[in-house]
Amino acid sequence: MVEVFAVASGKGGTGKTTSTVALGMALAERYDVTVVDADTGMANLLFHAGLSDVETTLHDVLAGSAAVGAAAYERFGMTVVPCGTSLDGFRDADPTRLRDVVATLAADTDVILLDSPPALDSRAAVLPVVMADRAVIVLQPTIPAISDGLKVQEYATSYDTDVAGVLFNKVREDGIERVAEKTERYFGGPTLGAVPESERAREARRAGRPLLAHAPDCEAAAAYRRAADSLSVRDGTSGEVADRFRSAVIPEPP
Amino acid sequence: MRLPRGRLRKSRVVTDPREPLAELLDRGVTGYAVFEPQDSLLLDADGRGVVTFDDGIPVVAYHTGTDRGGPPALADLAVPGPYHISVYELDGTDLATVHEVDELRVPPGMPAERLAGDPALADSTRRAAPAERPTGAETESGDEHGAVEAFLDDEEKIAAIQEQARQEAKQRAAEWGLNDT
Repeated sequence: MVEVFAVASGKGGTGKTTSTVALGMALAERYDVTVVDADTGMANLLFHAGLSDVETTLHDVLAGSAAVGAAAYERFGMTVVPCGTSLDGFRDADPTRLRDVVATLAADTDVILLDSPPALDSRAAVLPVVMADRAVIVLQPTIPAISDGLKVQEYATSYDTDVAGVLFNKVREDGIERVAEKTERYFGGPTLGAVPESERAREARRAGRPLLAHAPDCEAAAAYRRAADSLSVRDGTSGEVADRFRSAVIPEPP
Repeated sequence: MRLPRGRLRKSRVVTDPREPLAELLDRGVTGYAVFEPQDSLLLDADGRGVVTFDDGIPVVAYHTGTDRGGPPALADLAVPGPYHISVYELDGTDLATVHEVDELRVPPGMPAERLAGDPALADSTRRAAPAERPTGAETESGDEHGAVEAFLDDEEKIAAIQEQARQEAKQRAAEWGLNDT
């Protein structure tokens, strides 16, 4: 079985990478999980997973100079495929090769989480949402974040990518239940959870460790685990996913 | 709300209003910014929002399309970008009269919360606000969810946002050759 999720938000600063890694670690208790930094222009995952010193990254794979396996690292119970941060690496990377990367990874894992770019303004930015089976939309409970989340959903569904659910993050006030209930009216999936704003999450990021490893007992970590529990992973065969990704028609830029 | 025209300092299209709000705060600008959403589906053709600033801190807000002031004007203006933004500088004395109109006033951090969705920028704006401005603890931080709920109750506006996004997604899929994926 394998299912590919794009973890997406239309807006930066929602804590998407923290959420991707936390969901990944929580899901890794039940599944074989691979987390991929699909934000090739603004890599972030490596800093969250203690991989800032690694030599080979997704950039090398997308540039055609390394195999996927060389950029996949076993960390915190998951397979992590980080992206590099250099401008040269970004320039040489061909984002359309991402479909081959995912197709290859799909052969050997249960759940793939694509940490997606926080924008919809280029083909490379929407690619993870286009290619995923379903999207998890990370929202701060603010009007602009929800507006942008609605946009992500429209983009996703226009490519037949379903919405697996909405995850509220950086929640500061009580009463998120009412906001969640009203938000659910407009989104294709349920509210997976509401994660409180957390100093522990900032500490974890500074320490280069996932929140669930840095402060497993904190309230935010517990909220992520509950969110992961409410995410039902569907069965898809690895072969189907691989075929679908390999056959995705994505022409070169003009 | 009438204001002298002032000296035009900036006129550009931004995707996220966070950028100009942060810049106005950093530079301590006194004057006003006109926010014009680029999506004609969502507002009347002449729907523009005006936010004034005193030393970089937002003071009053007004929406020309709905003729509402204060926090409701920010709600009217909270639509997905891009926005065309023009920034005009004025002397503080030119703003004194309009800054005295209570119905137009907004708490200092509210534009960052509601237009940019950036609680951290809202915090820095509140910290930079002069002591005599209400920090908004009672009017602001306890009510963000209320504002979000009011937004979610506006089914017409949400439907317009969805429709716009649907059209944009379709158009871009064609431009990017992603129709067959």
